[in-house]
Amino acid sequence: MLEQFIFVGVLLVVALFLPVVLIGLAWLLRPKRPNPRKSEIYECGLQPHGENWVQFKAQYYIFALVFLIFDVEAVFLFPWALVYNWLPLYAVLEGVLFIALLAAALVYAWQKGALEWM
Amino acid sequence: MGGETVFNAIWLLTILPELLLLILALIVLGVDLALPAERKRSLGVWTAAGLVIVLLVSLLAPVPEEAAFGGLVRADPLGRVFRAMFLLGGVLVALMSMDFRPLRQDGPYYGMLLFSLLGMCLMAVAENLVMLYVAMELTSISAYVLVGYLREDTFSAEAGLKYMLFGAFTSAVMLYGLSLLFGLTGGTGYMEVAAALREAPFSLAMVGFLMVLVGFGFKVAMVPMHFWTPDVYQGAPTPVTAFISVASKAAGFAVMLRAFRFIFPSLGGEWVALMVAISAVTMTLGNIFAVWQKNIKRMLAYSSVAQAGYILIGVAAASRLGIAAAAFYLIIYTVTNIAAFATVVLVSNLTGSEDIESFAGLSRRSKFLAWGLMLALFSLGGVPPFAGFIGKLILFAGAVQSGLIALVVIGVLNVIVSLYYYLNVAKVVFERRSEEEEEPVPIPVPSRWVLGFTMAAIVILGVLAAPVFNWVWRASGAWF
Amino acid sequence: MVPLQWYLVLSAALFCVGLYAVLARRNAISILMGIELMLNAVNINLLAFWRYTQPEAAVGQAFAAFVYAVAAAEVAVGLALIVSIYRNRETVDVDEINLLKW
Repeated sequence: MLEQFIFVGVLLVVALFLPVVLIGLAWLLRPKRPNPRKSEIYECGLQPHGENWVQFKAQYYIFALVFLIFDVEAVFLFPWALVYNWLPLYAVLEGVLFIALLAAALVYAWQKGALEWM
Repeated sequence: MGGETVFNAIWLLTILPELLLLILALIVLGVDLALPAERKRSLGVWTAAGLVIVLLVSLLAPVPEEAAFGGLVRADPLGRVFRAMFLLGGVLVALMSMDFRPLRQDGPYYGMLLFSLLGMCLMAVAENLVMLYVAMELTSISAYVLVGYLREDTFSAEAGLKYMLFGAFTSAVMLYGLSLLFGLTGGTGYMEVAAALREAPFSLAMVGFLMVLVGFGFKVAMVPMHFWTPDVYQGAPTPVTAFISVASKAAGFAVMLRAFRFIFPSLGGEWVALMVAISAVTMTLGNIFAVWQKNIKRMLAYSSVAQAGYILIGVAAASRLGIAAAAFYLIIYTVTNIAAFATVVLVSNLTGSEDIESFAGLSRRSKFLAWGLMLALFSLGGVPPFAGFIGKLILFAGAVQSGLIALVVIGVLNVIVSLYYYLNVAKVVFERRSEEEEEPVPIPVPSRWVLGFTMAAIVILGVLAAPVFNWVWRASGAWF
Repeated sequence: MVPLQWYLVLSAALFCVGLYAVLARRNAISILMGIELMLNAVNINLLAFWRYTQPEAAVGQAFAAFVYAVAAAEVAVGLALIVSIYRNRETVDVDEINLLKW
């Protein structure tokens, strides 16, 4: 049992060794001319400005809440889906009822305007 | 949840009221979407009428005695008594809400009320730790929303936050206790747990018991889990306060009585001694703090803590008479407290204040309201011949039968102290004059019904308690 | 295999961390996070007990799934209440949320 972890250990050593060597080589060989433009971000968005404690629109928040609820309800569907082929009829119907209730809740949230994007 | 997963259609009869409640909630939410804004006041009628139907079904429909859904729920007679009690409270609160301006046109409010009731009904019949937890959380989470419902109102929002933080905290502690019970016994059905608990080490079982008690204590507002009560009662919209003070408390007692009877009998004398102490402290602290209150909802909050103390006498007695007396007292407490809060709604609609002082001269503004409040306060204070008197009498009788004489003495002393602040309100209502006392208080039709029904119930239950008490007594027989 | 006690100690420790957050923190969101830690401790307990005492029945797993779903609902309502109080009062510090007192 424990011997099998040797492979993990070897992999760990190699994984540490390779990047250290490669980055070290690059550091030795490259020309060193620093300038502030070079440390700016590029290809991943804009330079941030203003404070980082800004208020998000409440709309994001309602979306997140609706998502959270429906996301978590899926936990009950996984075991049901896993044994679907062996389920008796009433268990299938129970699952369908569960999904129907979730759908009704979604329709209600939709009608109440929780899903409108402004 | 065992291996036998055969479905039996008769199980649906066991949870018929719950199924109807769910359908009713969906109908109310659908009607809310369909109706134009100016006609939404009829939502209260939809809710109340639907609840009356559910109540009748829950009383009249035949119910199988054995456990349903593989032991998740058992609709035994006492569970059905509690269920009827919550539904009655729901009907009265729905009617009362129709006269409470900020909420009366609000569809989601009535929906949340129904979901909370659904949770309570399941609490009354749950016979499995998982079912118990899910039912309690359904009740609590809907109640958090209801308490914080008036988002623009700072008091309501603050009360909602406090209720939620305290409730989530106590339920997490309770849940840890449930997980220990599951670990100790390897089961989640009450009977399995109780059987395995007899062999389990006493100290561990006691830890599980205490942690579960924290969750129950929050629901029934017993010391030392009562800190939320005054703030939440004061800040919540008044119909919601009424709902929490009666239905939520009764649901807490329903699960407490069943859990103590069926999960923890092996702890025997230890928990009885603990409950005696908690009962004495709860009623004493509740009554002492109530004396100083200036706000009527805060006063009723401490009074409800004290009432929880009285009902705990029945829990501590742990006999058939004690349990029946506790259930009977909860019926009385439901109608009594709703009468009190219904008058608070009407008076504060007019005066915009919930101070006891604002009730000055009420007897000249409306005889009907003044007497409604008086009957409620007399009944809470245990003045004969009203319902609260006979209820307390039977509770004390149960305690005497179980040999808890000291507790009865403390209870009687507490009743005397409580009369002081109840009668103090009576003095303000009948003797104190105010400048606006010529202006009559309008009483809308829904409140007329609520007050008429509750006043009649307070008098009738006081004079003719036997039929209702016999009903509860017969129901309690199934547990012994 | 790791003995059951280790899981129970881990769960108890996590529960205490959550308890500490609830009792000592003044920020409503931190308190809510503490409560979530307590619920996670419960889930560790449930799954450990299930795995070690009766892996053939699914009760422990089912219980944990319910706890998980209920915790999400609780946190959704809790955050909504915190947002509504923040709009009213511009604070989520529970020491400053004190209009209601005797």
